[in-house]
Amino acid sequence: MSPHRMSPHRRRPWRLTAAVISLFVVVAAASGCGGKTSGADPGRVRIGFLASLSGTYQAVGTDMRDGFQLYLDTHGNRFGGRAVDLVVADEGDGGPTAVPAATKLIKSDRVVALAGLVGGGSVAGVVPLLTENKIPLVGANGRPELKDPTWVWTTSFMSVEPGAAIAQYVKEHVDGPVFAIGPDYQGGWDELKGFTDAYVKAGGKLANPDGKTVFTPFPQTSNFLPYFTQVRNSGAKAVYCFYAGRAAVDFVKQYRQSDIKDLPLYGAFLTEGSVLDAQGPAADGIFNVLNYSPDLDNAANRTFVAAWKARHDRSPTTFAMASFDAAAVLDKAIAGINGPLTPQAVNDAIGRLGPIDSPRGGWQFNHTTHAPVQKWYLRQVRTDGRALANVVVQDLATLGNSTDK
Amino acid sequence: MGLVDAYLIPVVDGLAYGLLLFTVAAGLTVAFSVGGVLNLAHGSLYALGVYTAATLSDGTWTGLGLAVGVGTLAGAAGGGVLAAGVAPLAGRGHLAQALFTFGAALVVADGLTSLFGPDELPVTIPAGLGASAMIAGHRYPAYRLAVIAAAVVLAGACWLVAARTRVGARVRAAVDDPQMLACLGVNPRMVQAGVLAAAGGLAGLAGVLGAPIIGPGPGTADAVLLLSLLVVVLGGLGRVLGALVAAFVVGLIQTLGVTLAAGWAPFLLFAAMAAVLVARPARTAGGTA
Amino acid sequence: MSGADATIRPAGSGGMGRGGEVTAAAAVAMDPTGEAGIRAPRHGSRLPVTVGGLVATALASARGVIGYAVLGLLAAGAGAVADAYTTVTLARILALGLLAVSVAVVTGWAGLPSLGQVAPFAVGAYTAALLARAGHPIGLVHVGAALVAAGLFAAATGLAVVRTRGTAFLMVTLAVGELTAAVAARWTSLTGGSDGLAGIPATRPVWGVPALTDDRHVYWYVLAVTALVVAVTVAVLRSAAGLLLTGVRDHEARMRACGHPVAVYLLAAYTGAGAIAGVGGALLVSAQRYISPADVGFEVAALVLLAVIVGGTTSIGGAFVGAGLIVGTRDWLAGPWPGHAPLLLGTVLIATVYLLPGGLAGLIDRLRQRAARLGVRS
Repeated sequence: MSPHRMSPHRRRPWRLTAAVISLFVVVAAASGCGGKTSGADPGRVRIGFLASLSGTYQAVGTDMRDGFQLYLDTHGNRFGGRAVDLVVADEGDGGPTAVPAATKLIKSDRVVALAGLVGGGSVAGVVPLLTENKIPLVGANGRPELKDPTWVWTTSFMSVEPGAAIAQYVKEHVDGPVFAIGPDYQGGWDELKGFTDAYVKAGGKLANPDGKTVFTPFPQTSNFLPYFTQVRNSGAKAVYCFYAGRAAVDFVKQYRQSDIKDLPLYGAFLTEGSVLDAQGPAADGIFNVLNYSPDLDNAANRTFVAAWKARHDRSPTTFAMASFDAAAVLDKAIAGINGPLTPQAVNDAIGRLGPIDSPRGGWQFNHTTHAPVQKWYLRQVRTDGRALANVVVQDLATLGNSTDK
Repeated sequence: MGLVDAYLIPVVDGLAYGLLLFTVAAGLTVAFSVGGVLNLAHGSLYALGVYTAATLSDGTWTGLGLAVGVGTLAGAAGGGVLAAGVAPLAGRGHLAQALFTFGAALVVADGLTSLFGPDELPVTIPAGLGASAMIAGHRYPAYRLAVIAAAVVLAGACWLVAARTRVGARVRAAVDDPQMLACLGVNPRMVQAGVLAAAGGLAGLAGVLGAPIIGPGPGTADAVLLLSLLVVVLGGLGRVLGALVAAFVVGLIQTLGVTLAAGWAPFLLFAAMAAVLVARPARTAGGTA
Repeated sequence: MSGADATIRPAGSGGMGRGGEVTAAAAVAMDPTGEAGIRAPRHGSRLPVTVGGLVATALASARGVIGYAVLGLLAAGAGAVADAYTTVTLARILALGLLAVSVAVVTGWAGLPSLGQVAPFAVGAYTAALLARAGHPIGLVHVGAALVAAGLFAAATGLAVVRTRGTAFLMVTLAVGELTAAVAARWTSLTGGSDGLAGIPATRPVWGVPALTDDRHVYWYVLAVTALVVAVTVAVLRSAAGLLLTGVRDHEARMRACGHPVAVYLLAAYTGAGAIAGVGGALLVSAQRYISPADVGFEVAALVLLAVIVGGTTSIGGAFVGAGLIVGTRDWLAGPWPGHAPLLLGTVLIATVYLLPGGLAGLIDRLRQRAARLGVRS
């Protein structure tokens, strides 16, 4: 086995290197000449949309892209009167894919604003890019608390909020300790922290060994049975978890085939979206906390759901709704700009927005955290007509205004 | 007894996982011992099986049977193609052959994502198998018990073929002394091709059966390849019985190990692999320092 | 002398003959006057030890130095002409190129096929990233710390790893690489877990110089450090050390019989390659201001081995060609033909294995030899 060649000191490798460098120069020159200019045409605005179009969260990312596209389709593909060039990129499972994709959107495509982003980890990875290049992000899914959210706006929620909203309910309705489990990345840490902090503060006790949440390796865990054994051995009376996408399907199906199938299961996003169909009858009875439901009764929601169902044969999810709102935010902000359309102008304009009429009801940005002040609902998976659906059981809490100035 | 009760399910789960890995890795280790070919496309052959299951298994028993047949054939065909591709490189050493199989793995991976998309597909199994069975008072997915049974039957069948048939005798002869085999009028190259095809068929079959456990997705081929390499190295390259033991160990670490000490499983596995390779290099081809 | 030796050499043992030449060359390099009786050259000296020969070598080196200087200017110019995104990509290619150089040293020069050079690469990268985030943005410090950390890591793992050869070595290094990636993904408090470390401040090359915020400046910094490391590597490989290494690669038994401490040579090569990879990691962090376990995983290890095979396992320039090919295929192809990079890379690898056993560098070599033979005949 000899992967080698003749005596190496005989060759002159710089001839090969010369060819390579020349190739680089040619390619670099070509790309330099053909590079895209940013917003040279005042009648158009270029927006970058980043979501998971592959990987564990593909279902969530597709929903978000469809929600954003729905707004464009129903508003003449214009933001503030200007035609929109939408550049869609794949965020993958998190930072490792999201950061290069965002770099390309910002540096090569020269977008004026970014929207989307499924994973909290992706947000954490992309924020330094935004701050340095001064590009605003209108995030449409959860994110961690940031030290400096100047350039980051969220139309969905802070990742700690779903757990915090349901903690009191869980404390009141579960007679015994609760086992907390989630995926091991930024989004999972935040979601579970929101629950465990609020639950312990309300006087609850975690069944986990050492009282520490169990985090499963992300994104590769697809066999949860060993963890269910841990749950059983801990004597827990209920389980609280956060899983979405593919992991949610595996978790729920295996849950119902394991020793703990009769333990009440509480979750965030566990049964939201197309995963409910994939889970089938295994999902029946799961409680989940969310800031939206397709059966909410207000005018904006009726229009939204009708337009959505005309294009897709599934119900809209909170991901689609938040993404729809992100587009609405950008539309209103760009409409409110007097003067040249720069990323700084867009960011300032978003900061000036007032209440936003949304399918979830009215909401507005908290000016410290840049996230919505909104109501949270408790839902349960029940048979609704012929199929299983998430049915609103009761209101839980309104969160987001505790730190507003 | 309390301890047994607490950890019975992870042990059974480890058994199922381990037997599935053994079905995949057995072919890999035999292919290595016969031709010296380290088939880095083995994970892709498994992937052929899982995607076949995702496409053809529609919840009926006939669908499952069809998936099994087509998956095995697809894997065998893949193995045959690899054998044909590797044959001209026989004089150039193990690395060249391994690199060829790696290139083939990349090409197959692209083909599969082009055909089926980059997302992870769900697999429908017959309703009878989708229920839970009771073992000693514990619930356990019935499908995994079926996988255990199927793998045991397969292992038995393979042992029968290897130990009791002429074909098996030729394979064992090709491992021990290929030149003597050639003197008897049997072409060792054909034996190698046959072994690669059989290994591919086994991998494809393992893919169809294991689809609900290690499912179809863009990362499946890589994950299965790494696990198979782990099993093969831990068991000793070329030793089938060693692969069986190693597969159980790996399966147990992945299940019981995760229950007991969740963070340590990947470290344990790769550290064990490195330790074995360093401590016993003589057992691996080209391994003596 | 040659006539007698023709009977000693078994027929058709090209490898053994070459090994003998190299051993002789090594012996001559260390002992030009041939006084050591046991190690006297047997096949005739191949290195120019005459005055004319020495002058010719000096001239060739000068030509080489000028050639390298021109190349350096061209490379720097590429950064000036390209747009921001391409410049960042070029910087990443250079960093990965250093990783490929590391693989070339271990695989091509030491003869041990390695899938584990991403491990010291990861150590260097995370060292630099953690230093930067802790408030030490000086590039010199990053490179130095990465070099030392990765070198120590390589030395420590090398003690166990260089006891194996061939396929066993391939898999041990795979295990080492996977272990390091697993640590990077699970040691969340240190490495940020699977999402990696973001928000790495801009690098300041040396004290007194402001931080490099312009992508062009970052590229020139990375180019400068890469050029320095490559120069040192090539100088070492062209010296007696390189000859000893290729001697071990080609005929280990003979080297051992001559009394050379083979294990020491291989460990030294493995450590040096680890240090090179560590510097590459530090430069990657400077270039993309982000590091995650995906940057140092199995996929990268396999692709870099592929890059080195394609470029020619012993060619340092070829390592950069290969790295550029890999990154270019993935990034630039992602626009017009998304998702099909593995197809192209797999086809290139298969084609290289069949048609170009020496990689691109070997192809150029063969073309040159053919041209030379034509020149001789005419």
